[in-house]
Amino acid sequence: MSELRILLVDDEEEFVTTLAERLEIRGFAPQTATDGEQALEMIKNNDYDVIVLDLMMPGLNGLDVLQRIKRRTPDLPVILLTGHGSTREGMEGMRHGAFDYLMKPLDIDELITKLHEAVKEKKE
Amino acid sequence: MKSQNDRKIAFFGRMTANLTHEMKNILAIIQESAGLMEDITAISPLSETRFQDKFNNALQSIKGQLQRGMELTTRFNRFAHTPDHSRADLDLADAVAQLRALAERFARLKYITLDIAGAGAAPVRVETNPVGVYMAIFFGVESCISILPAQSRVVLTPARRNGNPAVGVHCTGEGVTETPTEFSEKIVQASAWSELTLSMDQLGAVDPDGETPGFWLVFG
Repeated sequence: MSELRILLVDDEEEFVTTLAERLEIRGFAPQTATDGEQALEMIKNNDYDVIVLDLMMPGLNGLDVLQRIKRRTPDLPVILLTGHGSTREGMEGMRHGAFDYLMKPLDIDELITKLHEAVKEKKE
Repeated sequence: MKSQNDRKIAFFGRMTANLTHEMKNILAIIQESAGLMEDITAISPLSETRFQDKFNNALQSIKGQLQRGMELTTRFNRFAHTPDHSRADLDLADAVAQLRALAERFARLKYITLDIAGAGAAPVRVETNPVGVYMAIFFGVESCISILPAQSRVVLTPARRNGNPAVGVHCTGEGVTETPTEFSEKIVQASAWSELTLSMDQLGAVDPDGETPGFWLVFG
C-alpha cells in the first residue's frame, strides 16, 4: 500500500469514485471530495501529500479552491484536471501555484507519475 | 456593438460549448469505468477464462470509440467558441484542421476523402471573422463534394498566396478529368457555390487556380 495521502476533488461523483477505485487497485488509498467547500474542510482537518483538483466545479470553482489552498498551505502540491481541449485553464492554474495539470480523460499511469513527481518536489 | 444576428450566433455557440463540456464529462466517466473493468479483470479469475479475449476486445472497442468521441467533442467545443469574437487572430492551419474533423463525414458519405496538405507547417495567421472563415472553407469543400465522383480527394492547403493568407481547395483523383479551366466553369454551378461567394464577400476573394482543378480562398 502506498503511503501517499491523496485527496481527489471533482463534482462528478461517479468520476471521482471510479478514479479512486482505480488508484486503490494500484495500492493507493485516496480520499474524495465532490465540491470545493468539502475539499477545503478536509484539507483543514487532514494532512495530505497531494491534491488532485478539477477546475470546472459549481460553487467554488477549482481556481478559487486552488487559491485558498495556496494561501493556507503554499507547499501542498495541487494537480489540476481540466476537461477542456485548450490548455489555457491549466496554464492559468499553474500561474496560481498549481504543480501541473492533466486533461480529462486521464491516463491513470500519467496521473500516478505526476503524483509521485509532485510529492518528490514537495520533499525537496 | 454586436448585431442581433451575431448575438444569436454567439448564444448558440455558448449553449453548444456548454453541452460539449457536459459530453466530455460523460465520456470521462465512461473511460474511467472501462479502465476500472480492465483493472478488475486483470486481477480476477476472469483473466483465466476463455472469455478473456472477448471481454478485452469489447473493452478495447469501448476505449477506441471513447477516444474518437473525445476528439470530436474537443473539436466541437473549440468550434462552438468560434462566435465568441466577431474578429480575432486566427491560424488558418488550425482552422483547416478543425474544419476537416467536423466536415469529414460529409465527404465520407459520398466516398470522398478530405485531406490536408502541408500539415505541421508554419501557422498562417489572419485577423478576421472566424465564423465567416469556417463557413467559407466548409462551403468550398461542399461545392467540391457536390460535383466530384466517388473515390475523389479534396485537399485543403493553408498557405500564403501572393503574400496573402489563404486556403487552397483542390480536387484530385481518377474521376477528376477536367482541365483547371473546365473545373472552374463546372464548380460555379454547385449549389453551395453561391453560399461560398456570399461568405467570402466580407472576407476576401475566391481565386481560381490556373494550374490544378481547384481554387484559393484568399483572406484579407
